[in-house]
Amino acid sequence: MDLIRHLQCFVAVAEERHFGRAAELLGMAQPPLSQRIQRLERELGVRLFERTSRQVTITAAGTMLLEDARLLLARADALAATARRIRDGESGLLRAALPPDLAGEAIAAILAAFRQHHPGVELELHELSTAEQLTRFTSRELDVGLVRHPCDIAGLELGPVLRRELGVLLPREAPAASLEEVPLAALTGYGLVLFPRAEAPALHDDVLNTCARGGYTPAAVRQGSGPGFVRGLVLSANAVAFAPRDSGSAHSPGPHADIVWRPLAGAPLAWRHSVAWPRGRGDAAVGAFAEATTRTLWNTAAVTADVPARPLHLRPAAEYWL
Amino acid sequence: MNHPLRRITAAFAEAGVSGRLHAVDIDSGTEVDAGADHPVVTASVHKLCLLVALHQQAAAGLLDLTEQVECPPADRTAGPTGLAAMLDPVRMSLRDAAYLMTAVSDNAAADLLLARIGLDGVNEATARLGLTRTRAVHTFRSLFAGVREDAGPAGARALTDPQVLARLRALDPARSNRSTPRDMTRLLAAVWRDEACTPEHGAAVRRLLGLQVWPHRMAAGFPFDDVHVAGKTGSLPTVRNEVGVIEYPDGGRYAVAVFTRAANPAATLPAADAVIGTTARIAVDALRAAK
Repeated sequence: MDLIRHLQCFVAVAEERHFGRAAELLGMAQPPLSQRIQRLERELGVRLFERTSRQVTITAAGTMLLEDARLLLARADALAATARRIRDGESGLLRAALPPDLAGEAIAAILAAFRQHHPGVELELHELSTAEQLTRFTSRELDVGLVRHPCDIAGLELGPVLRRELGVLLPREAPAASLEEVPLAALTGYGLVLFPRAEAPALHDDVLNTCARGGYTPAAVRQGSGPGFVRGLVLSANAVAFAPRDSGSAHSPGPHADIVWRPLAGAPLAWRHSVAWPRGRGDAAVGAFAEATTRTLWNTAAVTADVPARPLHLRPAAEYWL
Repeated sequence: MNHPLRRITAAFAEAGVSGRLHAVDIDSGTEVDAGADHPVVTASVHKLCLLVALHQQAAAGLLDLTEQVECPPADRTAGPTGLAAMLDPVRMSLRDAAYLMTAVSDNAAADLLLARIGLDGVNEATARLGLTRTRAVHTFRSLFAGVREDAGPAGARALTDPQVLARLRALDPARSNRSTPRDMTRLLAAVWRDEACTPEHGAAVRRLLGLQVWPHRMAAGFPFDDVHVAGKTGSLPTVRNEVGVIEYPDGGRYAVAVFTRAANPAATLPAADAVIGTTARIAVDALRAAK
């Protein structure tokens, strides 16, 4: 028995003291209403109404139950309203993540844009790498995040891919620093400071493959991701590093610094991001965070749409064909 | 002391893939379980189920494996190998079509056989063997048609776009041909123990799996001339699978199923292929050490 639905019938009849008017109020016919009252009386083991041919009167027992019924219906309404608010993204808790290398200004802009549209949602923001985000998606500890590609996207839904083109950080006195745009091959002889391979093996390999194909095989690959550490190695260890133009003040030194940032000729390297969330769990709050993040990053000058894919020559071992 | 499960997990991570593996000693039942019950997309690994169903129907007298079938060039299922890549009319026996389907994963040959056996026939065969989590819902033609539809007008090029990959129904075990690593080793063990077919038909299935040409996945993990590797691969964008049986000269035989998803959407990823062999070998070494 649907208790809430039956209690609605009970309260309506008690208030109208008339089956016909109560039925009209509930938008149903009178016979099923009578049946519901009878079923409720059987279920509760209590007679709720005295019925004569002309009128309906509530019993003493019915009166005693009426207040509890009203309270229960009010709680049910509140529950439905809360669920609706959560579903519509007006309230609730959103657990979201952004990667560590995003500029502070971009993070602030994302938060501001989200709060403006969804002030009722409590946003729990974490600084997490892509690998950490994927782990938390699996354990249902994270609702939405900004992941870096390539990564395993099984079981996820994604927003559009945004491309942050990488330039090179190099010592001011390096010959290549005098170029407007640096071809990868001009970095020959320098080591490369790159994030640890274990953080994202596929991306790590992709970067080194692209470098090699572009004529640059680093003299040595040094692990490092913290901005201070990267700067130290670039200044002292005959190394260069790749960084997006907007990756924060630590990576964007001023005009008189010892380290300069130069675009790479032909933009061969980029960090590619998109907002991600577990498949089927994209509610309004997730959508709003995705929208705020994507739009904010779009408005950051250094982000472009993903470039058209290169030609794809499927080899026979691929087994599929389009 | 390096625990095999830790080494398997590390090898998958090192190759940039998420992998699930189940390996079982066919005779003792000892197993290595690294996500054995995780639902996975089978892709062309499902041709193994079709191969077994074909031989079961032959054993039941429902068809004759030497029966000739016509494969006209028009309306062939597309693919890069076998009949799917040929231009002229072909007439061949059911069992030779099964050879092409198994040896080079010929999609046209597979759909030719599916037209005869039916998806229901394949599902009945796997259900009879107790593979409760294995199900074929697409022919190879309809599987690729779905990929083409989801990829949109940019076609194959779009398959490197993460947003496109995320919406490919073919990559979702709930909506694609599916199984689990454990179901697949159970199927292989049944074939090798002659429980799936009569000994005569079981031998035919084992022969065909031993004729698979691909050297880059499971076989790559066993660089030993005296070790026999028989298997069936499966691939889709980011998906690389192989299930097979490894037989050692001392009589040890091991059914191994490896299913992977690569982070990198590139079609050519030698390390992601090779890790199937690497992890299969770690598992088989552990099973042999447990003897």
